[in-house]
Amino acid sequence: MRLVELSRSEHSGVRIRADRAEATAATQHLIPIVVSEFRKAAIQYPIVFAKHPDTGRFAPYVLSGLGVEENLFWSGTELDVTYVPLNVRRQPFYVGTGDAGAASVLCIDLDSPCLDASGTQRIVAADGSDSAYLKEMLAILSELVAGRVATEQFVTTVLRLDLLAPITLDIVLDDRTPLQIHGLYQLDEEKFRQLDAGELAKLWTRGYLDLLYALMISSGQIFRLIRLKNQRIALTRAWHA
Amino acid sequence: MQAGPVRSICIVGGGTAGWLTAGILAARHGAGSGLQITLVESETIGIVGVGEGTWPTMRSTLKKMGISETEFFRECNASFKHGAKFARWVSGRESDFYYHPLMLPEGFPSLDLAPHWMKYSEAHRDAPSFSNAVCFQEALCESGLAPKLITTPEYAGVANYAYHLDAGRFAAFLRDHCVGKLGVRHLVDEVTEVIKSGDHLDAVQTAKSGRLGADLFVDASGFRSLLLGAALDVPFVDRSDVLFIDRALAMQVPYEDPQSPITPYTVSTAQKHGWIWDIGLQSRRGVGYVFSSRHTTTDAALTELRAYVGERHRDLQPREIKIPCGHRQTYWKGNCVAVGLSAGFLEPLESSALVLIELSAELLSTMLPATRETLTILAKRFNQVTQYRWERIIDFLKLHCLLSRRTDSNFWIDNRDPASIPESLKEQLALWRHRAPGDADFTSNCEMFPAASYQYVLFGMGFRMDTRQQAPERQLGEAQRAFAQNEALKARWTRTLPTNRELLGKIKEHGLQKI
Repeated sequence: MRLVELSRSEHSGVRIRADRAEATAATQHLIPIVVSEFRKAAIQYPIVFAKHPDTGRFAPYVLSGLGVEENLFWSGTELDVTYVPLNVRRQPFYVGTGDAGAASVLCIDLDSPCLDASGTQRIVAADGSDSAYLKEMLAILSELVAGRVATEQFVTTVLRLDLLAPITLDIVLDDRTPLQIHGLYQLDEEKFRQLDAGELAKLWTRGYLDLLYALMISSGQIFRLIRLKNQRIALTRAWHA
Repeated sequence: MQAGPVRSICIVGGGTAGWLTAGILAARHGAGSGLQITLVESETIGIVGVGEGTWPTMRSTLKKMGISETEFFRECNASFKHGAKFARWVSGRESDFYYHPLMLPEGFPSLDLAPHWMKYSEAHRDAPSFSNAVCFQEALCESGLAPKLITTPEYAGVANYAYHLDAGRFAAFLRDHCVGKLGVRHLVDEVTEVIKSGDHLDAVQTAKSGRLGADLFVDASGFRSLLLGAALDVPFVDRSDVLFIDRALAMQVPYEDPQSPITPYTVSTAQKHGWIWDIGLQSRRGVGYVFSSRHTTTDAALTELRAYVGERHRDLQPREIKIPCGHRQTYWKGNCVAVGLSAGFLEPLESSALVLIELSAELLSTMLPATRETLTILAKRFNQVTQYRWERIIDFLKLHCLLSRRTDSNFWIDNRDPASIPESLKEQLALWRHRAPGDADFTSNCEMFPAASYQYVLFGMGFRMDTRQQAPERQLGEAQRAFAQNEALKARWTRTLPTNRELLGKIKEHGLQKI
């Protein structure tokens, strides 16, 4: 990754293949999301929580694979999903902090596979204004920036109420290997159901109840991943047969 | 004495002994159980506060009290401890050291690596030390690494660990928790008189709060032993015939700079007439020389201590503490239980002070609820168990001293005098000439040190055992796999774990997760 501050003049000639944004997720089994994505993500993926390796802090992710660097939705050319997380769609753009430290600046990853001469997207339109494509990217990035704070607040509340528990699965895949999941956490439904009415009212007011139900519904998507994994195992077997 | 349930407990003394006892009792018999716990502490009497090393038991003790480990690290200047390094204990040379880690040898107890290691070390001059061959913790210590990751939950560890802590801050931290969260009543007052009828304490008279009556009293008043010793006349049993150390010179040594490494284990370096402890906290080291005043003078000891801490710290003034070696004849009499220094004190070689407080408070806690009629039965049991524990600690401490081959002073020579060695220890040593310590040698359910601890000290100190009939060929494959597994764990965790200071910094900034 090589992030540089985006310059409308300097980078006006850069051509971008937006279709390759999804390829950046081909080897990601965990993709970070923000709370505003929960409802959309829940219809496709299990939403899980994991700790940042450097800080130990919890953050939400969609789970897209059952092994490290495995994305079971990657077809070879695209993500076969109904919802692509913002953190994938934003490629190759990032928000960085400028040299001054305070203001955030728009950056582009010059190492991204999205940067390609055959690309059809540009950052500026013919008249020199921001292209429709760049405007869309800016909207995604601003949702991510706003979402970061909202997500941290939600996580703090969830932890204060002890609503997370490690995911435990007792499943054997079709190749007879036991499925092991370490270091992932999900909503502790039993604890959630024990919350008193006062606490529930507070969660409702803050809009957190929706998020918690989205988490609950999303947990069943693990079976979709298991099915996809077993399909891959069957395919590999057929290949070697 | 009136009949009926024990409804009130009065703890006299607010050091770590008093507050740990209050916390352990309140966490188990807190709000709703009808037990009222009051702690009265003096404003004018300070705490001794040299107990700065814990056992791993402190983790479950704090957890049960509902304390956040993150808060504990932030408030108590605490750091991680993997165990202890004993330097210059055997020959006295610079290169002489061994470890007593907190984890069992690989495969123990179903597989005993000791005879396999000993056979190998008899045949190979470059054989690794026992602790390094059977446990991956020594490698972590030598690299200054923490026993866990920032992603490891509170109180869980990659390696088993204990703490180093600032005893003064720890007592205050426990006080705030006990008063704020566990409903312990706190009085700052002077006890002016102890009122008793026979062997039964009725009340303590205080300067401002009047008479404090209780069904049960806990004496946590320190060396004064105000209730058990002074009021109930339980005599002090001097054990300096076995363990000679009776003085301490303690100082607080600053780090060279705020980012200096924090040693993740206690260092105990043998000196001419005793040994020096060195405990790394976040912001300073606690260093002290414990010695035998029968063998040397305070001035001579100070010279040795100054040589240890170095020229740079020549202006530091040590605090001298008399540490009578021994314990009370009984620890519970009538309706009074002594915990901490009021029960006794032994040299801090194996950090036994805090763990004995935890164990005594825990034992008392499991004996409740009780009635006043059954106190005599409970006292008898409490005394049996506690006496057994003191004897085992004395044996274990003596083991370190008698295995030394140092000849540079009478302190070490006298320590090998058979007359100074308890019979129980002599018996064990006679057996261990022929086989390694095993669980069968420790049959109480109140043991202090597991057989593995004896192995670490014995083989760390060069004790030889006859291996001719041991380490059978048929076990060789299993033993080799265990040694290899230990090497694999060393390689994995020395690569992955952060340094002690690094992890403590992260805990301050981000905190540890509860799960």
